[in-house]
Amino acid sequence: MKNRLHFAPLLALALAFPLTTLAQEGSVSISAPADGAKLQAAADNRVTYEIMPGPKGDHSHLYIDGKEIAVLRELKGSASLKTLAAGPHEICVKVVNKNHTPIGVEKCVKVMVE
Amino acid sequence: MDPQNLAYALLQLVHNFGAVAVVGGAVAARWLVRDAPATQRCLAWLVLGGWLAQSASGASFGAVSYHFYGQFPDIHAIARSALFIKLACAAGGALLAAIYLRRAAGWLPARRGMVWNMLLLLGVTALASAAFLRWFA
Repeated sequence: MKNRLHFAPLLALALAFPLTTLAQEGSVSISAPADGAKLQAAADNRVTYEIMPGPKGDHSHLYIDGKEIAVLRELKGSASLKTLAAGPHEICVKVVNKNHTPIGVEKCVKVMVE
Repeated sequence: MDPQNLAYALLQLVHNFGAVAVVGGAVAARWLVRDAPATQRCLAWLVLGGWLAQSASGASFGAVSYHFYGQFPDIHAIARSALFIKLACAAGGALLAAIYLRRAAGWLPARRGMVWNMLLLLGVTALASAAFLRWFA
């Protein structure tokens, strides 16, 4: 029992540290479309995201093939991908600072549009 | 204190006072001291300084981003157009203020008034563009 008590603070620290790091650094997740997904060109395609901007982030930009197509000011939600031509595309969400500079917190997925 | 935020804040300070100088200087010259060429000349220096401060601080925003992240601000479409308009206004405003300082002594009041109108228009246009640059980037 005593040994377990010794490990308890270490376990708590180990569990808490990744979350703390995540909050400090920021993170982006894209739940849809999945990486490698196949999309229909005629469909109303949307990207669903969740963003933790971190201390240096302010808002986010949405990119298709490196071209910014929208400003994302909500931390969680979805945005239209507008018209996607057939072929491979890369969709990225990048956290930027108040000066609109990407701070390195980003997530990209590759999709194939048919 | 975060050095990055401090750098942006100091530049914003210069940028804001530059904006006050270019618009306020032109308004004052056009309406408050329209019959005082000597004071107008002082205001022309103020406006020229304001445009130079705007240009230098604007460029430095990009430089700070590059220093900390290795890339410039990422702007597109409307924001990029707004930036080009601001750059054109800054170049035009600085040039016009410099011409005023060099040649206005020999101008009629009407011509001086016209140049101040143009400087005011450039200042207001740059300020309006700044709003679009801020929120559409």
